[in-house]
Formats: sequence, C-alpha cells, structure tokens
Amino acid sequence: MCKSKLYRLLALLVATSLMLAACGGGETAQATEPATGGEGPKVTSSGFVCPEPNPRMEVTSTELNLFVWTEYFPQDMLDCFELVYDIKLNRDEYSSNEEMYAKLSGGGAAYDLAQPTDYIIGLMIRQDLLQELDHSKLPNMKNFDEGWMNKPFDPGNRYTVPYLAGTDAIVVNTDAVENVPQSWADLWKPEYAGRMIALDDSRVLIGAALLILGYDVNTRDPGELEEAKAKLAELIPNIKVFDSDSPKTALIAGDVDLGITWTFEALAAQQENPAIQFIYPTEGAVLWQDNWVLLKDAAHADAAYAWLNYINQGEVFWLTLIDYTYINPNKAALEYAKENQPDIYKAYFDSPITNPPPEAIANGHGIEDVGEATPLYDAIWVEVKGQ
Amino acid sequence: MFQRLRENKSVQGTLLALPTMIWLSVLLILPLLLTLVISFGRRSPDGNVIFTFTLDNYIRLLGYHTNCAGGQARCFDPIYATILWRSLVLAFNTTVLVILLGYPLAYFIARAHPKKRNLYLFMVLIPLWTNFVIRVYAWMMLLRKEGGINIALGWFANLLGIPFQPLEMLYTPGAVLVGMVYEFLPFMILPIFTSLEKIDNSLYEAAADLGANAIRTFLRVTLPLSMPGVVAGTILVFIPVMGTFIVSDILGGRQVILVGNLIQRQYLDARDPTFGAAAALILMVMTLIVTYFYTRRFGFGEEIVAV
Repeated sequence: MCKSKLYRLLALLVATSLMLAACGGGETAQATEPATGGEGPKVTSSGFVCPEPNPRMEVTSTELNLFVWTEYFPQDMLDCFELVYDIKLNRDEYSSNEEMYAKLSGGGAAYDLAQPTDYIIGLMIRQDLLQELDHSKLPNMKNFDEGWMNKPFDPGNRYTVPYLAGTDAIVVNTDAVENVPQSWADLWKPEYAGRMIALDDSRVLIGAALLILGYDVNTRDPGELEEAKAKLAELIPNIKVFDSDSPKTALIAGDVDLGITWTFEALAAQQENPAIQFIYPTEGAVLWQDNWVLLKDAAHADAAYAWLNYINQGEVFWLTLIDYTYINPNKAALEYAKENQPDIYKAYFDSPITNPPPEAIANGHGIEDVGEATPLYDAIWVEVKGQ
Repeated sequence: MFQRLRENKSVQGTLLALPTMIWLSVLLILPLLLTLVISFGRRSPDGNVIFTFTLDNYIRLLGYHTNCAGGQARCFDPIYATILWRSLVLAFNTTVLVILLGYPLAYFIARAHPKKRNLYLFMVLIPLWTNFVIRVYAWMMLLRKEGGINIALGWFANLLGIPFQPLEMLYTPGAVLVGMVYEFLPFMILPIFTSLEKIDNSLYEAAADLGANAIRTFLRVTLPLSMPGVVAGTILVFIPVMGTFIVSDILGGRQVILVGNLIQRQYLDARDPTFGAAAALILMVMTLIVTYFYTRRFGFGEEIVAV
C-alpha cells in the first residue's frame, strides 16, 4: 500500500521534472506543405497570387532551413516561395540575437540562413560562422535603398543582405504622462519612478546613458563606460519592467506609462491606444537593422540565393508592409506598394514611426560591434541590473 | 558464460545498474567536471572560453571588480553576494509559506474519507498538467494593473462604495514570491500527505485516552510523525527555488535578479560561460551547505525515502 503510493509520487515527480525540462526548449515552426503545383499562376491558401520569380534561379535543393526572428514574416511570402520553387521551408525561431548566437556557435545546427541584427554580425564573422556572399547571384540587391547598404557593420555587404530596420526610441502614453519627455536625459527624471518599460538590451540602455554624457554609443573607453554605468544605475528606479519580447503589452495594459522601445511595438501600441506616441530623443535614437546572412555550413546555398532574390522582389517584399510595420529598406517594394496598394503605402508613409523624419535618421546612432570592450558592456549590464 | 551470470549475483546487480551509472556519469558528472574546469578559465572578448587557471571569476563573485571608477585596479561592491542573499531569502520565504499553506491542506486530505481523498489529490495535481511557463503567464494576467484581481477588487469596492485605486502587484518581489509559492505548493503537499496518511488512527485514540487535547495531540503525535514529510517537501521545494529563473523573469519584470537569472544571463546575454560556471558552482555549494545543515538537524525525511 505504502509502496504503491510512493511509486505514484515518484512517477509524478519524474513527469513534472520532464515538464520543467521542456520549458527551456526552442520552438519549431514549420511552414505549411506546399500545394501541388500545376501550370499557371500559383495561389496561396489566403488567395494571394504569387509573383513569378525574377530572375528564376537554378535550384537543385528541395529544402531550405531558416533560423529567424519570431513573428517576422508574411505567411504569403513563405507560401509563395514554396510554391514557385517547390522547396520546403523549415523555420526555427529565436527571440534574441544572443540566443541565436549561442545556438549557432554551439555547432551542430543545420541552418542555411540566419537573420542577425547589425551589432552581432562582426562577432559572427570573427567566429567564422558566415560565408561571403556571391553578389553575381544576388541581382535583386539593387532593390535596396543605398541608405541601408554598405553599413559599418559590413562594408560592401560582403556578408549581409538587408531585411527590415527600425529605431529604438521613447514611447509615451500621453494620457498618463504630463510632461512628455523629449530626450533620453528626460527619462531620468524622478517623476517617472516605477513607471517605465525598457528593452532588455544592454547596448540600447548603456547607449542612452553614453549619449546623455556626450559619448559615442560604441565607445570602447573604460572610463567613459564607467561613467555610463553610474549614470545608468540612476535610471533603474524608474524602470518597472525590462521586456524585449512584447513591450507593447505592458503599455497597452496600463502597467507602465512610458519607456524605451522599438518601431513595431510602438506602432502596435499606438494602434490600440492613439494616445501612445513615439518620440525621437534629441540626443538621437538608436538605429538598428536586421540582415540575412548565409551560414558557413549551409547545405542549401542555391535555395538560399533563390530565397534572397525572390523575397526582395518589390512585388513580394511589399507584403511586409501589411503586418510587419518596420522601416522598409526595399525601395522597389515601396514603389510597388505606392502604385498598387496606395492605402497600405499611405499608412506606412504618413506614420513618423515607420517613416521617420530624415533628421531622425541622420541624427540616429547605429550600434556596432565593440570587440575587446564587449566584456565591459556585459559586466556593466549585469551589475547595474542586479543592484 | 550465461551460467556464470546466472550464479553471480553481484555481476547481475552491476549489469542492472549500468545504464543508470552511464547516464549519471555522462549527463551529470562529466558536465559538472566541465563546469568546474570552465569556471577557472577566462573569457575571450568574443565570449569563447580560454582554458587556463585563474580565480578571477570567484574573486569577482566575492565582489571585487576590475572595472572601477577612478582607475583603481580593484574595487569592492558585493553585488553578487547581494543577489545570492536575495535568492536565499526568497527560497526560505517560499519554503516557509509553502509549509504553512500546504500542511493544513495535506492534513485535510489525509483525514478525508478515502473515497474523496483521491479526488482531492487529483485536484492538487491537475495544475501540473499544464506547462510551468504557461501557469506563470496566467499569474501575469491575474496580477497586472487591469488584471483579474484588480478587476474583482474594483468590483467589490464599487459595490461597497469605496474609492478604489488599482494595486501595483505585477513586476514586484511580492509577485515573484506568489508565483514561486504557487508553483511549488504541490511538492510540499504530497510528501506531507504521504506521512500523515500513514499515521495509525489508534495513536490518536491512545492520545485521547491518555487525556491529551487536540492541540497536545497535534504537537506530540501528528507533528512529529509527519516531520519526515515536511523535511522531504522542504528539500523538494528549497533546492529548485534557489535555481529557478523563469518565475522571476516573467513576474519580476526581469528586474528582480536572482542567482538563477544571473547564471542564465552569463551563458546567453553576457556570453561569459566562465563566470556563469563559477556562479553555478557557488550556488550548488551554497545549496549543499544549507541542505547539509538542514538534514543534519532534521534528517532526510528517511521515512519517505525508505518506505
């Protein structure tokens, strides 16, 4: 009697620990099976007519493995690529660059393309995780705005193809906040104590502190960083929650009144509550850009080039304007939308969040790899937050 | 050969234990040794491990930093001790609360009619069918400013005509404590129930015959006999709470930093596996010390382990 009870208890504990262990795993999302292709135009399940690939690439691979950000692709874009090339897309997702890097540098992952943000690309190159792109196979690179090419993190785009971009700036619920902050320095005011949300992102937060002090966001000087650490420590009492996954939720729910967030989240929050505004701070917002990279051990490089050309066609890439409202670096897509989807184009063009005023971009600061100063940034972040 | 195997009991035993021994050595002892080796290493700027022998990570854990104001070589700031202490206090509070909440319920279930007993136990276990993380997110919905609890309180206040200001509950240390208590309560109820259930009814009758009142019976009979369950439950709760990072991440808004969060961040965000390894070992040693003194005082809950 007692024994059987004990066994039941033990079985229960084992089952529970398995459940706990399962929490750490990454999610796998797989695109739907392509419908059997016949002649004539391919149509997705939502009724979108897939544009023909231009140019059509020679592809022998039958699948392509993507390692990408969560919630970052129009379903029609994925479906169409599968339909027109008859390639099966496998998609694994991550929610931070660090998570992506940890998985890739651990080895053993069989991905073809990944989607890192600017600052971590230098590290990936030094760690020999990437292969140089063959630009003769990327005719559709011409569709990108020069402003988003040839950036300091990858001069000449030897390794990267742009995807979407955005800014990290100040978001404010003007119903709840009397004095709307106009600068990073304003966020330090004691009146915002316990009312802020911030990205859980060391470079953006330390960057803001550096900007207030008048230093470069990519400084490697230990003295300047030490000052920034002290400055940032003063901001912590104002921050109620750090969240990089879905900062809009706390804003919309009224848990916080203002904070530091990025383009898409600010726009989504604003659509829920028009009183929420996005402010480009006077010291300059932080600019970021996500990019495609071809991994060193990519087994399906031919399919990867086909993907990069296909999605970057204006008549495909414009799909990102519908639900993934970031800054769109693809000028062919914007031209296509302007002529064929005027409402969607207008919504994009008229919003200062997706289409920032030129001076906000000119005044912005790109985050770069800081090489040997990386441990300093990391230590500052851990120590400031742990206080 | 099979003949020999049939006769030799000790070989049989070894063979039976072999899979578990391989499992333990490959998945427990080797990683632990690797962690130990890594903790004496140094990180490269890119976050690779440089294998060497330095105590820097441990010195840093003690609170001596290399990046100091005013160009000093080292300075003292016991930030990591603070984090460890915070985790220890939280684990202690969680365990005490879980005992206070779990004991009466376990007692109630153990004394219930045997037919209802299984139903009650079942109800204690049902939440475990849902994933741990999802249950923590559910607490987020309850605790937020416009969440379930505030809505209910607001409704009552309105009914009574009292002005109501929504309570700030989410993203506070209190929210983390609530989440921890909720998550680990079943692990306390079950062992206490098992030891309470085994108490022979005649002992209560004897106590009553000898003139003991309810309180005295509880203190002299029930409590001592159920201590093994409490001890086993304490070990099952205290140790995991010391290392958890999910609850504090979600309900603490990532600004209630526990040692579990510290370690996780070293491996991911900070790309410093050497420091993470050192912190993990310190956590383990600390947990071992606490458990050692605890079990020396109270035993392992032998009765449970040895049934």
